[in-house]
Amino acid sequence: MNLKGKWRVGRVVLLTILIIAVGMVGFGCVKGLAPIGWSGGTVSGGTLFVGSNEGRLVALNLSDESRLWSEPLKQVSQGGIFGCSPAMGGGCGAGSAGVAIYGTPVVYGELVYIAGYNGKIYAYNTEGLALRWVYPREDYLEPFVGGLVAADGKLYIGSENGKVYALDTATGDNLWEFQTGDKIWGTLAVYGDTLYIGSFDKKLYALNTADGSKKWEFAAEGSIIATPLVYNDVVYIGSFDRHMYALNAFDGSLKWKFMGENWFWAEPVVVNEVIYAPCLDGNVYALKVATGAKLNGYALESPVSSRPVVVDDSVIIATRKGVIYSLATGAGEIVQLADFEQDIDGPLTAYEGIVFIHTQDISLQRINAINGAILRPVSLKSQN
Amino acid sequence: MNAWELIIQQPVINVLIVVSDYLGGSFGLAIIALTIIVNLAMLSLTLKQIRSSKAMQDLQPKIAELQKKYGKDRQKLGQEQMRLYKESGVKPAGCFITMIIQMPVWIALYQSIMLALAVAPEGLLNLSKYLYPWPIVYSALPLNKSFFLLDLAQPNFILAILVGATMWLQQKMSMTISSDPKQAQQSQMMLWMMPMMFALLALSFPSGLSLYWVANSVVRVVLQYRITGWGGLRRRPTEVMADSDKKHVKFDASVERKSIDDVGADIVISDSDSSRKDAYHPSKPSKIRYQPGKDRVQRRRKK
Repeated sequence: MNLKGKWRVGRVVLLTILIIAVGMVGFGCVKGLAPIGWSGGTVSGGTLFVGSNEGRLVALNLSDESRLWSEPLKQVSQGGIFGCSPAMGGGCGAGSAGVAIYGTPVVYGELVYIAGYNGKIYAYNTEGLALRWVYPREDYLEPFVGGLVAADGKLYIGSENGKVYALDTATGDNLWEFQTGDKIWGTLAVYGDTLYIGSFDKKLYALNTADGSKKWEFAAEGSIIATPLVYNDVVYIGSFDRHMYALNAFDGSLKWKFMGENWFWAEPVVVNEVIYAPCLDGNVYALKVATGAKLNGYALESPVSSRPVVVDDSVIIATRKGVIYSLATGAGEIVQLADFEQDIDGPLTAYEGIVFIHTQDISLQRINAINGAILRPVSLKSQN
Repeated sequence: MNAWELIIQQPVINVLIVVSDYLGGSFGLAIIALTIIVNLAMLSLTLKQIRSSKAMQDLQPKIAELQKKYGKDRQKLGQEQMRLYKESGVKPAGCFITMIIQMPVWIALYQSIMLALAVAPEGLLNLSKYLYPWPIVYSALPLNKSFFLLDLAQPNFILAILVGATMWLQQKMSMTISSDPKQAQQSQMMLWMMPMMFALLALSFPSGLSLYWVANSVVRVVLQYRITGWGGLRRRPTEVMADSDKKHVKFDASVERKSIDDVGADIVISDSDSSRKDAYHPSKPSKIRYQPGKDRVQRRRKK
């Protein structure tokens, strides 16, 4: 091919790439498609453990702010070209730099556990973050979105493959499995010898912690992603059918239900016999625990998808747009504490009056919930 | 929510969810159905575009003639070409304008499919802000991403091949073969490059998007066939170019204008020189008489 011919071919290739590029930008990487992660934190022995958006478990010593990072979770093969793949959520860019971590780490004994979007569960020593075991040892399961729960030597988690797994906390051995009808994205709740878990199949399941046998199930009209709250023998669970349900914890019978204007995504909290239920309609509903009667509705400027925390008698709430509110439950007054101007989807963590908020810039924002002071954020970015 | 999301994206997403619910919760069928619905809604624009391309195609022999005649005088050539377009009632930019008008709708459909697929947790969370307060919409989510043996959230090799094949077919049928060998060569390369690129992209994106591309290409192939028959699939570009190089064809273009109502098309072109061989069909010495909507009917009657 002569020079002219090559130039012509080059032009065609350039034009094609240009068209594709314009298409990609115009047709665009749709926001919110790439998995990023929204792990909350858990505090044990003066150390806060959190899953970073780099796909690492981070241990933050709260007294001197020193940090320790685990090895990055191993990525499932990144299929696809142009950086787009199902693992990246089908969108381009803007995804997590490593494996997305959604579930909050859990500490049990001397180990800290974390589940990744790569379909693996990891157990590390709390001191030094040395890896103790991984489940499954070979291969990968479907992604884990919900968090882990540990009780009585067992570790429980629900997977996107619709299964509930019970593992031995010491060895990671599989003790039992229970198959639901669809994906599980929520975190389980343990109450006595019963395990409560919601599924995309629109059902809430109550399982025996001993062997995973089903005690009862409750069918809602929408999928269930929220983590159940169990309080005084009643299970409170939000659904995609826009209802917050209160169910008898022993037989699943309906006590009451309350309807919001959008999905109930986050777990509610209870203070002084009042349930505070955040909703994606931008409200936090205050409902009477006994009857579900609405006492108040606090309209915020954007939806709430993160679990609030209770500090003294105040409920600290984060909206998706990054505004933090303090709701004084006694007076029923709500005040804005901060505006981080970043998406907040993960659960908040409170420890000794300090609220920790994991933001998407891979840092941990801190607010003193008692006096409203905003503290210096701590970076979760790894050093290497 | 910005204006784009409010006016375009939100309605499309909600319709997609409702259609999916009515089709037994099948998101795959909903994608196909909505692609057909949107194509029907834009049918007049699409037909206009296809007819415009066809008219341009039919003018190629005459343009080739002009190029031979005024090849050295670029200014004169340009003027004569414009005169020819004007007399023929063809607007060269016409098909691009209709494409630009259609573009936002396709972008909205693409974005809606990607959003409704909600592959990652952030996607599903993000989707909640687009929902209308209809009970059916809230309860239908998350959508069932299984379609026959496909997981619409995962790439699929067979569907990627289908994306390339249907896109190639559609492009081949609608391809305007230029009398200029250089342009013709470029068109040939584009004919292969675009489908290949989209097939590669399909290997990276959720197959729900591939399904949309395939459905869209199939609809366009059907429409193209209705208007122009197999079009470019029957032409042999090398012959055309060789032919146009050898022969100096005299032509006297006279343009017969008819209203759109009469012929169902924007333009009607007839050649006064009946002895001239059609540059694209040298074996057929008949007149070129392009009457979209009618010529195909006549052809059928002859059969």
